[in-house]
Amino acid sequence: MEIATVFNFTHDAVIFAVGMTAILASLGVILCSSPIYCALYLIGHMICLALLFLLYNAEFLAVVQIIVYAGAVMILFLFIIALLGGKKEVQENTFHRAMAFAFVFILLGELYLSATVGTTQPIRGEIPAELFGTAKAIGLELFSKHVVAFELASGLLLVAAVGVICLAKFSFAPLRRRVR
Amino acid sequence: MGQEFVLLVSASIFCVGAAGFMIRKNPLIMFMSVELMLNSVNFLLIAYSSFLNSLDGQIFALFIMTVAAAEVVVGLAIILTIFRTRHDMDVDHIDTLKG
Repeated sequence: MEIATVFNFTHDAVIFAVGMTAILASLGVILCSSPIYCALYLIGHMICLALLFLLYNAEFLAVVQIIVYAGAVMILFLFIIALLGGKKEVQENTFHRAMAFAFVFILLGELYLSATVGTTQPIRGEIPAELFGTAKAIGLELFSKHVVAFELASGLLLVAAVGVICLAKFSFAPLRRRVR
Repeated sequence: MGQEFVLLVSASIFCVGAAGFMIRKNPLIMFMSVELMLNSVNFLLIAYSSFLNSLDGQIFALFIMTVAAAEVVVGLAIILTIFRTRHDMDVDHIDTLKG
């Protein structure tokens, strides 16, 4: 066998394995009773997605995924779980739950059908292959074509930080528990 | 791996996230399900930017990550405030506005 064939086969096998692991980890997120296990499964899912980003030539975004999601956001989730106490949730099978599953299965079937439509109109970019997905290419694109959106995103983050400080700083008088 | 595989994986993760948002009662896990949905769309954008040899998908995914980070921070602060005033973590019990 040629070396290129072996490489392509291995590449496909790795992508398949990582994709399936990502799906299984996402199932673990929604099916575990304890919030701390859900958070751990979500970290595993994020790492699988970062690997997939790497396999699809997006090295800068893979690093950003690890730092922002698996690092910052998940640490925030874990702190909140530690603060609020990770109580186990009783999961009972109700009519509402069956309806939710039915809706989601229909949605999944529709998405699978639409995935088989095939290409409509190919649009080809002109990024050279050795530069694709690197921090340099992303930076060139970001600071030339998307400067306004970049500045607006920085404003959004600032507003979010100020809003969180306002929410967390001022304490509200506790409400009386509603009598049922 | 072909484009169909990417579409199928992305659709599966999105549907798992949607199911989790509907069946869980803990607001933290509902937020995690929203993260699952956003991440599946990110994966689709990045894979297609690789297929089409254009960087626009990756820029889009970067902005989605920014907005998701801001959304998570504000949402968790709101959950914390609700918990401080009510000492209850079930979203079915938050029905003050129900009338």
